[in-house]
Amino acid sequence: MVFTEAPLEDLIFRGEPDWLRDRRRTALDTFDRLPMPSKTDEEWRRTDVSGFDPAAFARFEKALAHTTRGTNLPEGVILQSLPVAAKEHQALIEPRLFSLLHPNRDRFTALHSAFFTGGVFLYVPDGVTIEEPITGQHFSHENGTSVLPHTLIIAGRNSRFNYLDEYIAEGDDEPGYRTGSAEIFLGEGAEVGYVALQKWGRNAWHFGDQRARLEKDSKLKLFSVTLGGRFSKTRVEASLVGQGSEAELKAIYFASGEQFFDFHTLQDHQVGNTRSDLLFKGALQDTARTVYAGLIRIEKGAARSDAYQANRNLVLSDHAKATSIPMLEIDNNDVRCTHGATVGPVDPQHLFYLRSRGIPEQTAKRMIVQGFFGDVLDRIPFEHARNLIEADLESRLG
Amino acid sequence: MATVPKVDVGSDYKEKYGFFVPEDYIFKAKRGLNPEIVKEISWMKKEPEWMLKLRLRSLEIFRKKPMPTWGADLSVIDFENIFYYLKASDKQSTSWEDLPPDIKKTYDRLGVPEAERKFLAGVSAQYESEVVYHSLHEELSKKGVIFTDTDSALRDHPELFKEYFGTVIPPADNKFAALNTAVWSGGSFIYVPKGVRVDIPLQAYFRINAENMGQFERTLIICDEGSFVHYIEGCTAPIYTTDSLHSAVVEIIVKKNARCRYTTIQNWSTNVFNLVTKRALAYQDATMEWVDGNLGSQITMKYPSVYLMEPGAKGDVLSVAFAGKGQHQDAGGKMIHVAPNTTSTITSKSISKGGGRTSYRGHIKMYPGANNSKSFVKCDALLLDDASRSDTYPYNDVDAENVTLGHEATVSKVSDEQLFYLMSRGITRSEAETMIVNGFIEPFTKELPLEYAVELNRLIQLEMEGSVG
Repeated sequence: MVFTEAPLEDLIFRGEPDWLRDRRRTALDTFDRLPMPSKTDEEWRRTDVSGFDPAAFARFEKALAHTTRGTNLPEGVILQSLPVAAKEHQALIEPRLFSLLHPNRDRFTALHSAFFTGGVFLYVPDGVTIEEPITGQHFSHENGTSVLPHTLIIAGRNSRFNYLDEYIAEGDDEPGYRTGSAEIFLGEGAEVGYVALQKWGRNAWHFGDQRARLEKDSKLKLFSVTLGGRFSKTRVEASLVGQGSEAELKAIYFASGEQFFDFHTLQDHQVGNTRSDLLFKGALQDTARTVYAGLIRIEKGAARSDAYQANRNLVLSDHAKATSIPMLEIDNNDVRCTHGATVGPVDPQHLFYLRSRGIPEQTAKRMIVQGFFGDVLDRIPFEHARNLIEADLESRLG
Repeated sequence: MATVPKVDVGSDYKEKYGFFVPEDYIFKAKRGLNPEIVKEISWMKKEPEWMLKLRLRSLEIFRKKPMPTWGADLSVIDFENIFYYLKASDKQSTSWEDLPPDIKKTYDRLGVPEAERKFLAGVSAQYESEVVYHSLHEELSKKGVIFTDTDSALRDHPELFKEYFGTVIPPADNKFAALNTAVWSGGSFIYVPKGVRVDIPLQAYFRINAENMGQFERTLIICDEGSFVHYIEGCTAPIYTTDSLHSAVVEIIVKKNARCRYTTIQNWSTNVFNLVTKRALAYQDATMEWVDGNLGSQITMKYPSVYLMEPGAKGDVLSVAFAGKGQHQDAGGKMIHVAPNTTSTITSKSISKGGGRTSYRGHIKMYPGANNSKSFVKCDALLLDDASRSDTYPYNDVDAENVTLGHEATVSKVSDEQLFYLMSRGITRSEAETMIVNGFIEPFTKELPLEYAVELNRLIQLEMEGSVG
């Protein structure tokens, strides 16, 4: 194992405060202690990680792995590299960093917490509205490296803004170990649009966690896109801890070749009068495989909650395979919960209709896929991200 | 609207269903589980050597398999404190008059003779572990239909028995199937020959009646090509203070073009652990239907399944669960698509009340090669108060080509609008709620023979009256 104390001392500790160093060390201990997930763990039964050895990628990239862009930021807004911010804004970061994304969760969250490389810290003070979207771009340039960015977002009371995390590989066939995780804290009445766009190389191993905590009357619109990675595991989890909070969790994925995507979602309604609306839509072709497992949990006392969960899979080839496990745990009766899942091929009637209009089969199929994604693309919270995603999707549909 | 006589569930249930007659057994095995007990059971039944060997091997498997770590909490079961075999009378009765008076008293209260007078073709009523009352309509035997208890079948139809027994659910399938295979006793055996349609439902009543007594019945149904049979299993059980275990195994083989329907109304008393394995194999163009109602028991874990083995096979599960105070109904269904052009549906309706918990647990698996198959799952849950809980755990695995799979579920409470509407018509709140609940499970009740549908509505009524107020 090359993920040891040495690279921690060497590479990452430079300039980082003591509390963060201690936290990284603790996470490393956790990593060493936890076993590799096996097929007997419910979450990993259909997800085979046995072929992944982090030690094969225990080298960090030398070049700057991320840039952030935000123009005309109002006074008080902090937008910095996370390691730099950890030093300058300890009071804001120390109590929150890795409090939603707990290193004890499994071996991979522990590894990410111990070795995260850069990432973004965004703090928007109470009452501040930012019109222009803020973007964080995370790059990988080299083969066989680890790129492990982490995003921490704190939205003050009644703040309003949009943020985009973009994960970009320079070469599309780079093997490597990649993560892309975000912790999002929404203060009372905050309204946040968050988009994650994962475009790592086709040979990368990706582990991402997007976790949000919503206080009273806050609203989150989260949109997650998965396109890259030979293996990609993404967890999207929202905890609704304040009355009146609303989480909209939408995602699209397009898996082709031999890609394997795993999605794990949680809508955790801890208090009443909360709403969550989840829709994960994916298209699969070639021999790609996807697994979706999602849970709506309504805690006791979370009355008048409203939760919706759906997973739709469009299977474009005979050899692509989709698994869907939408789960509910409801501990309160005064709720409305609905969920649904579908797995199916292109409707031959739709195809026939288009072809009878003289459209070639390939084009017709592409139109059907675009139509399939159409309703969820409309939910992307801001224009800039929508243009990007539509362009990426277009180029992949070919 | 006809008025329904009030029944106070809490106190009257014991008199109505919860009686028990003093124990008077001819043979009573010792408590506990070991090879000696298993040998003793086999010896008492004068079984052939192969069955004894199978029992002993199954006991080994049971010992080795771990307890399931998912679903309900089963850690409180004490396998060493259970009677594994009881025999209430030493010979099979052929007519009602010959039955021992104690047992007659039990059946009088269950209404077995009346049911028989109405439309029963054959009754194979199980009192404790052995079938003691058994009658078979002459018409059926003329057609070549075998409807008997499983112990007699082993004796009287050894070839048929050996060919199919344990082929659908082998002892190593799961811990409780192993336990059942080791200590099984009683149950029903049905063979329907080629092309024979049994128009009248075949039924059997089951009862548990001794403290800490296990009931491990074993049912085997074979529907030969082009045949049809409807089997009904229903049970009520007395109330006891310590936990008892019911762990049955039901194996069904539905051959080409045949159809089998298996209806269960499970109403064990609320201290019974009901851990049942039910599975059917459906061959070409065959149809298997499970109609499964779970009202009683403390914990039920039961997932009737259909293995769709050949093209055109069809599987259906219609499941209703009602969980009251202290109950956990972990029920659902499994559809395993092995062959192309197979179809399946699962419909689940669950109701939780007074702190009860219902869980739907299902599995749709489409193996490679099960191309052009279709499956649809619908689960609806009704939560009657804020102390209750409902879960949905549907597993959908698709490894086949060009398949369509859909899953839908909703969880809600009794709608205020529906309540308001009914109450504005002068119906009391509790009556209105009962009507809504009965309406909710109507897709299930309408599949039952009238007698059972009435009984089920009545049971729901009793359960509802217990709480609302």
